[in-house]
Amino acid sequence: MNVGHRETADSDLVALAAAGDGAAFHALVERHRAMVYRLAYQFAGNHHDAEDITQDVFIKVYRSLERFRYDAQLTSWLYRIVMNACIDHKRRQSPAGWAPFTEEAELRMVNTPEERPGPEEQTYGGQLGEVLQSEIARLPPGQRLVFTMRHHEGLKLSEIASALDLAEGTVKRQLHAAVHRLRGALTSARVTTGGRA
Amino acid sequence: MTVCDLFDSPDIELYFYNELDAGERARVDAHLRGCAACRQRLDDLRAIRRALASRPVVDAPPAGDWSGFMRRLDAAIAADTSAPGAASVSPRVATPRRGWSLRPALALAAMLALVTIGVAIAARYRTTPAPAIESASQAPAQTPAPELKADPDRSLKVGTAEHLERSKLVVLGLATRDPQHTTAADWQYERQLAGNLLTDTRLYRLQAQDRGMTDVARVMRDLETVLIEASMADKPDRDTLERVQRLITKRDLVVKMQVVASSAGL
Repeated sequence: MNVGHRETADSDLVALAAAGDGAAFHALVERHRAMVYRLAYQFAGNHHDAEDITQDVFIKVYRSLERFRYDAQLTSWLYRIVMNACIDHKRRQSPAGWAPFTEEAELRMVNTPEERPGPEEQTYGGQLGEVLQSEIARLPPGQRLVFTMRHHEGLKLSEIASALDLAEGTVKRQLHAAVHRLRGALTSARVTTGGRA
Repeated sequence: MTVCDLFDSPDIELYFYNELDAGERARVDAHLRGCAACRQRLDDLRAIRRALASRPVVDAPPAGDWSGFMRRLDAAIAADTSAPGAASVSPRVATPRRGWSLRPALALAAMLALVTIGVAIAARYRTTPAPAIESASQAPAQTPAPELKADPDRSLKVGTAEHLERSKLVVLGLATRDPQHTTAADWQYERQLAGNLLTDTRLYRLQAQDRGMTDVARVMRDLETVLIEASMADKPDRDTLERVQRLITKRDLVVKMQVVASSAGL
């Protein structure tokens, strides 16, 4: 599929798609959908929401083709769209007024895990990776997003801050809080399994 | 183990993720040499990395099948740009000026859908003349009743409830078909009804999203997924119908539609 665009650079695909070339847009989607889906799945933890987020991302890409800055990396642009799509998705699922990154919300999020089984309930039935994955799913959305982008995708904190339009200090605190929670889960898992995990 | 200077700071994480400059890194290096607690924190981070690295990477829909996703994306984009009033639904986003290779055909299909929707639904109503359904003959693009003009949210809720009532008939029709005894003509009829509702469903979903009506947006999203699967399936065969039925059941769609329609006050 889209063999004709296999060698075409991202920026050229964007230009072609912006000019109305549907095959170029498809090629762009096919080239980057796995990365977008991976991030969406890590954030959402299930296929249904991951697909929703991925679709939202590419609709936003489609709508924004003409605003793409050709001196920028497409992947950086995509990361920004993915992060915002994750936040939008969470906002739509949450009560009105959900704000992921204000100081007040930050404090609240640190103390407000999502309602999923805790590590103690998971450890006997699975491996350490499962316990940690479960704990990541329980992280407040802001922490989950920052941890995923830093740990899994390797983005620098400055890049995450820029993409989310946040102070770098806020992103550092989010990462610190996320790691603190994961370390707690790790310790708990080790205690529960007598160090086997 | 005593609490050290770095206990409450993010320095160990930043060290681990290589986010410190050379001077700060040297400072943490020196600290680590004398602090067992922080060495343990660093080891924990390595353990977390190893453990997470062993997890399977999920970067595609189940079974790696992207065909459904691509179909839904195409339909969503077509609806986004060709649906009447779509630009006003999302005023933050300018409607692209460029042409989409499939757009003329999809735009025509959308227009035809709007024109024929009344006919198709009327045909459905003739076989199920429930009073509540008869009141649901108002198309969403029609002017709202005079008493509703002053309250757009109320108007949207009423339109939403009516649309859900209409759609429920189609969903029930799909859900109750016997895949083994559904003729091609029956299946074609169901698909046509589903296709006719698609554009309006997307319109209502976007409006609900824009106005923060989360529950409505969610059920419209589920309905949209079912309608797309039903109306745009590559193979309108028994397997497809069974897949659509599983989707309806899995998402508990009929009950959700009933609840949301009821909460809208009709």
